[in-house]
Amino acid sequence: VRCQQCPPLRALQASAALGRASDEHKKEPLASSSQQHFDSPPAGHQPEQEPQGPHPSYTGQGGQESEDYESEEQLQHRILTAALEFVPEHGWTAEAIAEGAKTLGLSVAAAGLFHSDGSELVLHFVSECNTKLSKLLKKEQKLVQLGEAEKKPIDEFLRDAVEARLRMLIPYIEKWPQALSVLLLPRNIPSSLNLLTSMIDDIWHYAGDQSTDFNWYTRRAVLTGIYNTTELVMMQDSSPGFEDTWRFLENRVADAMAMSSTASQVQSTGEAVVQGLMGAAVTVSNAETSRAVR
Amino acid sequence: VYQVFENVAKKYDVMNDSMTLGIHRVWKDILMHKMNPCPGTLLLDVAGGTGDIAFRFINYVRSVRQRQLQRKLKQHQNLSWQEIFESYQKDKFNSLGDSQVVVCDINREMLKVGKQKAQHLGYSEGLSWVLGNAEELPFDDDKFDVYTIAFGIRNVTRIDLALQEAYRVLKPGGRFLCLEFSHVSNPLLSRLYDLYSFQVIPVLGEVIAGDWKSYQYLVESIRQFPPQEELKAMIEDAGFFKVDYENLNFGIVAIHSGFKL
Repeated sequence: VRCQQCPPLRALQASAALGRASDEHKKEPLASSSQQHFDSPPAGHQPEQEPQGPHPSYTGQGGQESEDYESEEQLQHRILTAALEFVPEHGWTAEAIAEGAKTLGLSVAAAGLFHSDGSELVLHFVSECNTKLSKLLKKEQKLVQLGEAEKKPIDEFLRDAVEARLRMLIPYIEKWPQALSVLLLPRNIPSSLNLLTSMIDDIWHYAGDQSTDFNWYTRRAVLTGIYNTTELVMMQDSSPGFEDTWRFLENRVADAMAMSSTASQVQSTGEAVVQGLMGAAVTVSNAETSRAVR
Repeated sequence: VYQVFENVAKKYDVMNDSMTLGIHRVWKDILMHKMNPCPGTLLLDVAGGTGDIAFRFINYVRSVRQRQLQRKLKQHQNLSWQEIFESYQKDKFNSLGDSQVVVCDINREMLKVGKQKAQHLGYSEGLSWVLGNAEELPFDDDKFDVYTIAFGIRNVTRIDLALQEAYRVLKPGGRFLCLEFSHVSNPLLSRLYDLYSFQVIPVLGEVIAGDWKSYQYLVESIRQFPPQEELKAMIEDAGFFKVDYENLNFGIVAIHSGFKL
């Protein structure tokens, strides 16, 4: 008898837990509140469809009823989002996740839902930043379409997009080297690379197909190189308001524009990307050791 | 079941070591790593009579707490000596970070041995010993962060009741962990394992503990225990989410994990 009621009961309990965790002051009867929560996750879970398609999920769910799937993944997202607040203090670790779970009213053991190295937390953060960037770029595009803003020249557009994206790192800049080393773990490289390339694609999509000099791969590689190297510079930048970083960015973008007219663009951009990625590994390990010494 | 363990209590640890050739320590360590508890965790260890899991938990939490304190001190480099001294004092009395473990067992003898061990090894704070039945736990709802049952669930008559009780006493977000002998799928290994279980273990039981029948019962109960997938389904039926299992040593032992979400 119990089994018959199992699926709906489980789903209800999950949403009841969500309801409990998120809003302790609701006086409505449990049934209606869980019903409400049930309707909102599916609706809210469909973000605006990007050109590349829906976001990949990092929770490794599969083969479960669709309603539970949505609830569990939603809950994991909420835990990770809550955990971000504790990253400056605890770093990108299971401890931060445990603290995040505590603020949602869950036991600290809920951190066991994720890997103990904090991988999911970093990937979640990067994914959220990319989403924010997408929304920002889409909003700007709308303004241009409505005629309320001027269409930016390509170099300014790229500069602003990369700057906006990198500024999202500022609250976590102390622990960002740790995050980069987590992203470079062999297990996480497929996901982190995927996130990086989809972000770059996104920026180019909103930049519009203006120049006919670049082909698709070159454009991707160039911008990836610019983004990675600027990110590394930013981590070691102590100038006020990161002005050194933004100046560096400006120069790199200018170089890229100049490069488009030379015939050797493909080779040099390939080198730039490789250097960027190698530099990432070296700089991160240097930064980690220097911070550890400090 | 009660009588089996009454006989077995005093020699329990010795028998564990000889039967599993000491590997049971590794299994329990792996369980602890999987749990990865942070300071402030409240653990309920059911059927944990002699305290193996409880002691490991305390050690783990203590070392995590040490690292936490070290990190905090590193950040305090700009404080005056007075402030550093005060914060160190405050934290010194909190070496476990408010973590606690309650050991619950149905058998008084097992608990007695456990308490003696704790005294002998020097574990004083953060431990409680409670007499109780896994099918009907003497605890309130939503109390514990983690519930473990290591090599105990096969001795429970109504496993579904034990699972329901586990679900009841766990906080939302709490974790259920079960370490138990399970089914070996590899046929070659399975034959070797059967040979070892039925020929060697009862003999060891007779020689070391003077009790053939108990250990024969033990081996048979392992064979009768539901395999990994079935236990996973039972745990899901009790209401746990994200139920998963990890085979250790090709399925000789498996760790099942579920969350109350």
